[in-house]
Amino acid sequence: MQSSRKLWCVALLGAVTMMGAGTASAQEVKVWTLTFANDSANKAWQKIVSDYEAANPGTTIRVENRGVDEHKSALRVAAGSDQGPDIYFMWAGLGLGGEFVKAGLSLPLDKYHQQYGWGDRFLPSAAAFADLYEGGKHGVPFTFKGEAIYYNKKLFEQAGITAEPTTYDELVAAADKLKAAGIPAITFGGTVNWHLMRLMDVLLETKCGAEKHDALMSMKADWTKEPCAADSFTELGKWTNQYVLSPFMGIDQAQSFNLFVANRAAMMLEGDWLVQQLSESANLDDFGMFPFPTNTNRLYGFAEYHYISTKSSNPDAAAKFLDYFTSTPVQQATLGLFSTTSVNKHVKYENLRPLDAKWVDIFNKYSAVYMNGDQAFPLDVTTEYFRVINEVASGSIDAATAASQMQSFIAKRG
Amino acid sequence: MSGVANPFRQAGAERIDPLLVALWITLIIVAVIWIAPFVFIIFTSLKSNATVMGTGAFSPPTSIAWENFANAWRRGDFGTTVVNSTIITVIKVPLGLMISAMAAYSLSRIQFWGHKVAFLAIVFGTMIPFQVMLAPIFKQVNSFGLINTYVGIILPYLAFGVPYQVFILHGFFKEVPKELSEAALIDGASHFTVFRRIFLPVSLPVLAALLILDFVATWNEFAMALVILQDPDRWTLPLGLMSFQSQFARDYGQLNAAIVMTVLPAAIVYLIFQRYFVSGLTSGAVKE
Amino acid sequence: MVASPSTADRYDRTPAQTRRVKARLQDPAVQGLVLIAPAVLVYALFAFYPMLDVIQLSFMKWNGLTAAKQWVGLDNYRYVLGDDPVFWVAFRNTLIWTALSVIFPPLIGLGLALGLNQNIPGRSPLRALFYMPVIIAPIAVATMWRWMFDPFFGLFNSLLTTAGWTNLIQDWLGDRSVALYSVFIGYVWEVAGFSMVLFLAGLQGVSQTLIEAARIDGAGRFQVFRYVTLPALRPTITIVLILSLINSLKAFDIVYGMTGGGPAQSTQMLAMWAYTQAMQLGDFGRGSAISVVLLLMTVVIVVPYLRWTLRRQEA
Repeated sequence: MQSSRKLWCVALLGAVTMMGAGTASAQEVKVWTLTFANDSANKAWQKIVSDYEAANPGTTIRVENRGVDEHKSALRVAAGSDQGPDIYFMWAGLGLGGEFVKAGLSLPLDKYHQQYGWGDRFLPSAAAFADLYEGGKHGVPFTFKGEAIYYNKKLFEQAGITAEPTTYDELVAAADKLKAAGIPAITFGGTVNWHLMRLMDVLLETKCGAEKHDALMSMKADWTKEPCAADSFTELGKWTNQYVLSPFMGIDQAQSFNLFVANRAAMMLEGDWLVQQLSESANLDDFGMFPFPTNTNRLYGFAEYHYISTKSSNPDAAAKFLDYFTSTPVQQATLGLFSTTSVNKHVKYENLRPLDAKWVDIFNKYSAVYMNGDQAFPLDVTTEYFRVINEVASGSIDAATAASQMQSFIAKRG
Repeated sequence: MSGVANPFRQAGAERIDPLLVALWITLIIVAVIWIAPFVFIIFTSLKSNATVMGTGAFSPPTSIAWENFANAWRRGDFGTTVVNSTIITVIKVPLGLMISAMAAYSLSRIQFWGHKVAFLAIVFGTMIPFQVMLAPIFKQVNSFGLINTYVGIILPYLAFGVPYQVFILHGFFKEVPKELSEAALIDGASHFTVFRRIFLPVSLPVLAALLILDFVATWNEFAMALVILQDPDRWTLPLGLMSFQSQFARDYGQLNAAIVMTVLPAAIVYLIFQRYFVSGLTSGAVKE
Repeated sequence: MVASPSTADRYDRTPAQTRRVKARLQDPAVQGLVLIAPAVLVYALFAFYPMLDVIQLSFMKWNGLTAAKQWVGLDNYRYVLGDDPVFWVAFRNTLIWTALSVIFPPLIGLGLALGLNQNIPGRSPLRALFYMPVIIAPIAVATMWRWMFDPFFGLFNSLLTTAGWTNLIQDWLGDRSVALYSVFIGYVWEVAGFSMVLFLAGLQGVSQTLIEAARIDGAGRFQVFRYVTLPALRPTITIVLILSLINSLKAFDIVYGMTGGGPAQSTQMLAMWAYTQAMQLGDFGRGSAISVVLLLMTVVIVVPYLRWTLRRQEA
C-alpha cells in the first residue's frame, strides 16, 4: 500500500503540474479573507492591492474571499495540508484565533514587530490580542470592532420611548412599550447561529458581571453552580418569546437586516460596520445607536487580525504587505471603509457621520472588552453553545436544563 | 409516443371513460404543483429586491431586472465555477465510462483468478454511499497532496462511479451472444481487440445513456467537492451556488438568478437527451 | 555504422523482453486482469481503502491537522453513543428520513406511473416534467426550497396569506417540529420522478394480453391491478424500494443546503453529523465512529439485497 501510494503520488504530481494547478509565481502573496458585506470594503481592498503592486513590481497580491463558515473550514484544511494562504484573516482571542495558533498555522511575528516598529503603531487595546498566545507575538491587527444596539428612531417615537435606555431594566421597559405598540422590538436571524448568540453574550454580561462572565466563557466556572447562567438563559427565553421579530429561526442575519431596514423591527444588535451598510440601503438619520446596557463598563466587541501562515513560502513579502496595509497613510485613506475606526493610533478623524462619531466616542470611553462567545470558546463548545441557545430560543428546554446541558458538555469533553 | 389515438378510452372501447378524464385532471393538477417552484424561481430571478419584498409571490415581474443575472454572475464568480465544472466533467465522465466498460467486459467474458470476488466487491460498492465517509476520503486525497486539484476530485469521482456503471454494463455484456466474440477469439484476436471492435460498438446506446446520466451526476455533485475543493478558484457550480446563498441570501433576485444559472445547463441537456435518461436508468436496474 | 557491444546488447534484450510481455498478454487471464486493473485500482484506493481507514480512525484521537494520532480504544464510541447530545437525534432523524423515503416517493412514483400508463393526452410532456427535478443539482433544489420556505417572502407563506389561512403560516425551516418534514417535502419533489420512471419501465413488462384476458373474464379495474399488474411489478417494486433506501442515505446535500442541521441540530443526520465532527470541529475520531455506525446500518440493509442480486445474476 505504502509504496504503491508513493508511485501514485509521483505520477499524479506530474499530472497536477501539467494541469497548471500548483504553479505559483515566486512573489505571490495569497490572502484569504472574508467576503465583506459592504461593497466599499471590497473596493478598498482592491485599491490597496493595486497600489501596492504598482509600488512593488514583481509582487502580486491575490485576495480570496469566502463566507465565514467556508473560511473556517478552508483554513482547517490549509493547516493540515501544505496548500494555503500566506496571510489569513482570523479573529483574535483564544477561541477561534487561538485554535489556529495552536494548530501551528500562525507564524510568530516578533521579528517583524521589531523590524517595522509596529509597537508604536497600534491602539493598545487592539494590539493586546497579539500577546495572548504562547510562543511569541501572533498576527497583526486589522480592525477593532464594537457591537451595540441600533434602533429605528421613528418606531421608538411611535412606541413613546423618549430616551435611549441606560440600564437593562429600561431596555426591557422599552421593549415592552414597543410590544404594546405592536412593534417587534428586535430582529435576529436564527439560521446563522452566531447572530442570536450575541443576545446570549450580552445577557450573560448583564446578569453575571464581568468576572463571572469571563470565568464561564473560559470554562473555569460551573454553569450549573452560577445561578446567573440560568438567569441569562431565562432572559434569553423571554426575549425570543416576546420581543424578537418572529419567525426568526428560519431566516439568516442578512435577511433580518432587510427586515430591520424595512421598518419591521425596532432594534438590531450589530457591530460598528452596520453604519456603512445602513448608509448603503437607508437614510442614516433615521437610526440611532447605544451600547447594550450591561452596567459592567465593558464594551461588547472583538478584534480582527491578519496572521502570517507558517506554510507561507515568503513570509517576508507577506509582512511587508501587512506593514503597508497598516501604515498611517493607507489607514488614513481607507478610514471608515473597513471599520469606523482604525487600529492605527496615528490616524486623524474628521467630518464623521454622527453615528460614526458616536462610535469613536464609545471606543474612547471604554477601556475593557468582552468578546463574542464563538471567539471565546473552542469550536466544539461553540457548536454546543449554539445548540443550547437555539433550544432555549425555540422554547423546547428551560433555562435550568440549558445551563446543565452546557456544563455536562464541558465536563465530558475531557 | 404521445400521439395517442382516441384519448380517454380504454383499449378497444368506443366510449370516453369518465374515470380516465378524472385521472387526467388529477395529473394536470399535480403537474401544476410540480411546475410551480420553477415558475416562482424564474419570476423572483427577474424581480428587484424591492419588488420581491413588496409584491405577491406569483405576480409576474413588471419591469424585468435582467441585471440580476449579470450581478449574480459576477458576485458568484460563475465564470470560474462553470469552467471548473466543465473541466472536471469532461475529463471524468468519458474516462470513468472507459475504465468501467473495460472492467465490465473483463468480468463478463474472461475467467481469471478472483473474478468472483471482484464482482462481489463491485455490487457491494453500488450500495455504499460515499456521503457516509467523507472524512476518510478527504484524508486519503490529502495524503496524496491532491486537495484543491482537479485530479484530487476526479479520482474519488471515478472510484465511486465505477461500481454502478460496471454493474449495468456487466449485465448488458452478458446478453451479447457468445458466437459474436468467440469466432474472433478463435481467429487469434486478443480480448483487447474483441472489446474494442465488437463490444464497444454494440453497446453504444447503453454507453450513451450512461454518459448522459453520469454527466448530470458529476455536474451536480456537491458533498465530495465540498470536502476536497476548498479553494474558490477550484469550486464547481454547486459549491459556488451554496457559497452564494450563504453570502448574498438577502438579495433575493440575484439568489434566484444564481439558481437559474446553475440549473440551466443540466436542464438543457436533459431536454435534448430525454430518452437516454429513461433507457439509462432502466437498462440495468429493471431488466426482466 | 558499427554498433558498440553495449548497444547491441540493448537492442538484443529489448525485443526479447517485448516478446515475453507479448507472450504473457496472449494469456486471456492476463488480458482480463489488464482490462480490469484501472477500475480496481482507483476503486481500491479511493473507495475501499477509506472504508477500512474509517474503522481504524474510529479508534483514534486525531484532529486531522497534526501528524500525531493517538489510540484511544472505544473512547470515541463511548462518547458518541453515550455523551454526544446530538448523535441520537441524528440517528432518529436518519431512521425517520429513511422510512419516509421508502414509503412516499415510491408511492407517488407508482401513482404517477400508473396514471401516465393510461390512454390520456400529453403523456410525454407530463412524464418529462415529473422527471425534471431529478436532474437538478440537489444543492440547487435545496436553495430553491429554502427560498420558497422563507417565512416572510417565500412561496408558501405568501400563498397562505393570499388564501387568508394566516393561522397555517409556519416558520417552515425554523420550527423544530416541522423543519425535518419541510425538508422532506422538497426531497419528495426531487426524487418522486425517479421512482416513476422505473415503474413506467416495469409496466412495459406487464403483459397486455393477460390484462385483456382478465378483463374479458369480467375482472374490474381494481382486480386487474391486484391480480395481474401488481404481481408482474414485483421485481420492479423490490428494486425501487432498495434504490430509494440507498438514495435516502445519500440525502446529504439537500439537508445541508436547507437547514445545515438546524434549528438546534433538530434536522441533523448521521452522515452530516459525521462530516461536521470531522471536517468542521476537527475531531476525526468521533466523526469516524459515527461513520462506522452508519456503515454498519447500511451493510445490514445491503447484504440481503446483495445475495438476491447475485442469485438473479446466476439465474
